[in-house]
Amino acid sequence: MPSVLRKLSMTTAEPEESDLRPDVVAGALDPVPAYCDVVDGHVRDVIEQTGEAAHAIIQQLVKVDSLAEVMAGDVAQLAGTLSRTESELSQVSAGNDQLVGRLISYFLHRDHQIRALVDQMRELDQHVKQIEQVSRATNILALNAMIEAVRAGEAGEGFSVVADEVRKLAHRSAEAAHGIGTNIGDLTAKLDAVLSDDSQFDREQELPPSSEETAMTRRLGGIASAQREMSEMVSGILKDTVNAAEQVQRSSSALTSETTGAVGHVQFQDISRQMLEHVAGAVGDIRQQTEDVVAYARGDLTEEELMARVISVEDLRAKHVMSRQRTTHASQTGGASHDDAEPLIELF
Amino acid sequence: MTTVMLVDDSATMLMSLKSILTKAGYAVETAGHGKEALDKLGKGVKPNLIISDVNMPQMDGITFAREARKAPGMRFTPILMLTTESEQTKRAEAKAAGATGWLVKPVGPDQLLGVIKQVLPGA
Repeated sequence: MPSVLRKLSMTTAEPEESDLRPDVVAGALDPVPAYCDVVDGHVRDVIEQTGEAAHAIIQQLVKVDSLAEVMAGDVAQLAGTLSRTESELSQVSAGNDQLVGRLISYFLHRDHQIRALVDQMRELDQHVKQIEQVSRATNILALNAMIEAVRAGEAGEGFSVVADEVRKLAHRSAEAAHGIGTNIGDLTAKLDAVLSDDSQFDREQELPPSSEETAMTRRLGGIASAQREMSEMVSGILKDTVNAAEQVQRSSSALTSETTGAVGHVQFQDISRQMLEHVAGAVGDIRQQTEDVVAYARGDLTEEELMARVISVEDLRAKHVMSRQRTTHASQTGGASHDDAEPLIELF
Repeated sequence: MTTVMLVDDSATMLMSLKSILTKAGYAVETAGHGKEALDKLGKGVKPNLIISDVNMPQMDGITFAREARKAPGMRFTPILMLTTESEQTKRAEAKAAGATGWLVKPVGPDQLLGVIKQVLPGA
């Protein structure tokens, strides 16, 4: 542009040395303002569209943020509920353990008493055997007495009757003792069976043998063990779920942190808007200068007026507000680099 | 609740900063330029902190800072200038006008909240 102006200036000063036609120059530059208007319109479209996009991005990030917070809240509530459930389950399990423990103690005590009873009954059996022995001896004695009574003849007839009665008593006594012994035996066998009838249980549950254990205590122990295993399994599931929920909370927190960062980055739109407005302003300057040149070529503007309004790259530099604009300006014009040492944050 | 007044002619900046500050627990008042912000102060809005852009229509941020200092109860309220402008001369003007600090856009959420905690230690 300055070279064209120089030529125009020369044309005015020395028309005879140039065949430059001002009307051609004016005609060539005539479409430039409209061209600039279109470029300006495009730049403003970009500003408007990036602005709308930035607003939409922020709104969506805020929604994502809100959803993440709701999700984190829900998960925290779930984790709290599961944690309480796990705690309550542990308490119930501990209570069941105590209950089964007390039941085992009760049955061990009861079984111990039954064993003592069986032992006492076995001792009774010994007494019955002694009674049977006495009865047998009495029977033999009565038989001997009868023999002696027969041998005594008539004088021994009364004694023979007594001896016979003694023999009968001995016989009945032996029968009674035998009956008692049989009953004691049956009773002892049944009590033994109560204490030791765990064959069916052992086939289903393999538990380590214990001299203190009985069928009932083994069953109770089995129930307690199964209940404990189930409780541990459920507790494990609950803990895993709580851990997963806590992980979701951490992820949600990280997500909201990222969305906040992204919202911060959307500030680029304001910066690019200002840069584009700066470009639009420069296009406007070019437009104005083109119109001035056209006016000069058509004789509507004097050389002095034109030259007074000529734009320069230094004018453009004076309009920069950002460090980056000044740096780019310097790199494009080959000028001195802008001193970019100012801190980005400064408290006075 | 601590209230922050945001003054910026960019709707994007207002939305972005409002989102960050609201999430951090601050109440937020917004204004599109210095004159609007000054009107709000005149109507009794009493922010604990003002964050203002510099280049705005109707009333620029430095003029606003100067005028805001004259509003009742605003003499010691921190005023941070948040702008793309980076020249030292502008900073000096802002400082003379009563601004508390100068932040160059873009400013990250952590940086912004860190500066706020510096100028509002109890908030």
